[in-house]
Amino acid sequence: MDKKLTCSRRSFIKGTAATTIALGTAGSLFSINQSSFKTALAQEIQENKIFQNACPRNCYDTCSILSTVKDGILTKVDGNPDNTYTRGRLCVKGYSYTRSVYSPDRIKYPMKQKGRGSGNWERISWDEAYSEIAETILRIKKEYGSTLPICLNKYSGNFSIMQYGIEGMLASIGDHSIATGTPCWPAGIDAQTFDFGTIYNNDPEDIVNSKYLILWGVNPAWCAVHSMYFIQEAKRRGCKVVAIDPILTQTASKADVFLQIKPSTDGALALGMAKYIFDNQLYDAQWLARNARGYEEFFGYIKNNITLEWAADKTGLPKETIETLAREYATTKPANIWIGYGMQRHTNGGQNVRAIDALAAITGNIGKSGGGAQYAHLETWGFNYHAMVQEKPQDNRAHGNRAINMNNFGAEVLAADNPPIKMLWIACRNPVSQDPETSVIKKAFAAMDLVVTAELFMNPTVEMSDIVLPVTTTFENPGVNVSYWHYWMTLNQQAVKPLYEAKNDITIAMELSKKLNEMQPGSCTFPTAGDLYEWAGKEFNANIYSQFGINDWKELEKGPVKAKRGLIAWQDGRFRTPSGKYELWSEEAQKFGHHPLPVYVEEVKPSGKYPIRCLTPHWKLNIHSQFQNLDWMDNIDNTPRLEIHPKLAAQYGIAHNDNVKVYNEIGYFILPARITETVPVETVAAYTAWYKNRNYNVNYTVKAIPADMGKKATGMPGIAFHDNFVNIEKI
Amino acid sequence: MAKRLGFLVDIERCFGCHTCELACKNEYQLDPDIRWRKVYQIREDAYAMPERIFMSLTCNHCDQPECLRVCPVVAYTKRNDGIVLHNQDRCIGCGMCIMACPYKVPQYNQKQKRVEKCHMCAHKQDQGQKPACVTGCPAEALSVIDLETFTVLGTTEKLPGYPDPKITKPTTRFIQPSIGVQIRRDR
Ligand code: SF4
Ligand code: SF4
Ligand code: SF4
Repeated sequence: MDKKLTCSRRSFIKGTAATTIALGTAGSLFSINQSSFKTALAQEIQENKIFQNACPRNCYDTCSILSTVKDGILTKVDGNPDNTYTRGRLCVKGYSYTRSVYSPDRIKYPMKQKGRGSGNWERISWDEAYSEIAETILRIKKEYGSTLPICLNKYSGNFSIMQYGIEGMLASIGDHSIATGTPCWPAGIDAQTFDFGTIYNNDPEDIVNSKYLILWGVNPAWCAVHSMYFIQEAKRRGCKVVAIDPILTQTASKADVFLQIKPSTDGALALGMAKYIFDNQLYDAQWLARNARGYEEFFGYIKNNITLEWAADKTGLPKETIETLAREYATTKPANIWIGYGMQRHTNGGQNVRAIDALAAITGNIGKSGGGAQYAHLETWGFNYHAMVQEKPQDNRAHGNRAINMNNFGAEVLAADNPPIKMLWIACRNPVSQDPETSVIKKAFAAMDLVVTAELFMNPTVEMSDIVLPVTTTFENPGVNVSYWHYWMTLNQQAVKPLYEAKNDITIAMELSKKLNEMQPGSCTFPTAGDLYEWAGKEFNANIYSQFGINDWKELEKGPVKAKRGLIAWQDGRFRTPSGKYELWSEEAQKFGHHPLPVYVEEVKPSGKYPIRCLTPHWKLNIHSQFQNLDWMDNIDNTPRLEIHPKLAAQYGIAHNDNVKVYNEIGYFILPARITETVPVETVAAYTAWYKNRNYNVNYTVKAIPADMGKKATGMPGIAFHDNFVNIEKI
Repeated sequence: MAKRLGFLVDIERCFGCHTCELACKNEYQLDPDIRWRKVYQIREDAYAMPERIFMSLTCNHCDQPECLRVCPVVAYTKRNDGIVLHNQDRCIGCGMCIMACPYKVPQYNQKQKRVEKCHMCAHKQDQGQKPACVTGCPAEALSVIDLETFTVLGTTEKLPGYPDPKITKPTTRFIQPSIGVQIRRDR
């Protein structure tokens, strides 16, 4: 056993061969040899240093991590048991972290590519990189009279509050173009903003108090694993769990009841339920009278427009099922609904979320422990974001930033005029693999003078860039993380030194600022030096301190802290809408072009040529284009597949493992078939992911069709990712 | 007092997320192609639930370990708490155990030309801690039980696709899944 563990340790470190990390003595420290293990373990504990870290991904769970570091090397990660939501556990992705830190595939030093997409990379120094970038910035500014031709595209690859340095750096060169919006969840955000005033969910640990729980288009078994514990605990305490989804998801497989709804008809189900609740007077008249606005109008609408037969026909669910669901939901208290992000990625997604919210309102389940209409929250995100707020240089001549729709990025970059966009800076994003309309994105990249990408791995976006800057992993720089789901805050300490020549975004910003000011004094107002921990400290304010019950952010060094108040959303009944009430009738919605009531908006149906809906949800081994590229994930599963129902497969003569071409008018991809009854008959599913050695990208077929909502809260509508229609063919 | 330690795998709670597998890999920083623990999908037709039922398996620390019986250099030992250890110092990489184990548990490490496998985190258990897979599973679907004292009520020794327990008398026990109501449009 000694040898095995020693060797494994050695080969593990070999991944970092390009660096000069001292290996230390690789003794028999992991020995479990009966006689010596006790001393070995004690010795191991003594020599190890433990650091606080946080998983910064775009994931509900935002785990608190304890990292073990020996001789300057991260030797493993554990969940931090102090966090009562993640409960000392990570997920399949979190436990792979040593493999991303020490991946031989990491981008190790700045590189320049001769010919985008050619793979003809050449190592350059940081100084050369800064010089070329700074020269281009200054040249563009001179040529076009402003820095508007420079466009930043940054989003969710890392949600640490320290990542905002990159916005700050761009702000410091002057007004520029900036990718605006969010691809993931905007329609639902607007829906809840119209209804409640903002997004705000109960502490997910409170799920255990629910007596009835509807998991509506959400798959925590893959995407928020730690919530599954609370769901199972609620079940153990007598809660009935119902899952509503077009796909028989892993989460649905654990529910008491699974209802396979037709995609994009969730609003019809909710309104059908509301109709039953109204007809049978199962609503909470008292709650509505005290807290809601527009309920008469809403009841008028469902009375005149909605029938259960219609809802049954729309949703594909039997009328009796809808009646039972409505009765159980309305009469079991408290009843909780968790609304997922997948179900709002439709052209009627926002309206559907409003209709579901309405159910929680008319049954008086809002503001209660065990109740609610959970979507997300930003209650714990009240940082200063000081890095973003920089003075403009004196010669700044534009009048504010130019917003470029992140959700139609390629087309909007190409269409931008007066001045055109000439340079892209990409950070924490992989648009070539994750944005819709991959071909258009590539065209936009091709039209640039310079594309700079700050990245960890050679992903498809880096492949289309001119300069790549190696960035640090979360273990190599400090940060602070909060979640859009639970209520914990975790300090992220620097556990190991930056590997290779990697730098974090703020350091890159400071050094580029220095270069710009050398070339043209006053051209960049971003600081040119500073201590990263001090930067972190500047993000805090009195509100956050009182919310979390701490006096100083350094207290986080002892471990994660949880918000002390506001854990049950809307408990005070003070909604943040214009009327201060829950708004079933929303004039705000009307202002943004919607019906003021949560009415049904027709779902998009397939057309003749492309009769199959192609859903592109998340896969369990990745988050967007992160994690699936790592060797440990590849070892579990390295083959993306097209999930197809046996009946549809038979219709197209497709057998298990046959290669299938999935195509529509904008592009295609090819995948082997996995024949399974988990998908509906008329729908196929392929997961959005980036596999290191595969030319696979679902977004070649996904059009940048806007979802109905998103503009109010996020600046741009979302993307109707799931209104993607294709045809298939065995090849 | 002698124990018979084994894993209890709650299939009702397990949702096939593979976290246990990587919690193990993380603990020992295993080579990429080595899997001490492995999560298997149970065949689609075994339950009235397509594709979503899994069993998380590792060494079963069998009462009659075939690995131990066939190993020509006595690399295997069974502790008196039941844990079956493999000693890499003795191992010559002949692969006899790999062929003998019905559960494909011993893993051949190409680089070291030796076998390796799960030791139930024996050193952790001796310190009163739980194995890495057990503490890692977000569903709390895994636990270590002592079959000498554990009441087997409601558990099973066998699952669809799990090799016949008669051969090696594995100590792994399972809790069967309960299947909910499915209102599906393909039926
Ligand atoms: S990906 Fe999510 S669940 Fe997994 S470790 Fe990170 S935050 Fe936790
Ligand atoms: S970690 Fe737990 S839930 Fe996930 S596959 Fe393993 S046993 Fe199952
Ligand atoms: S599962 Fe295989 S390796 Fe483990 S004790 Fe049994 S026979 Fe030996």
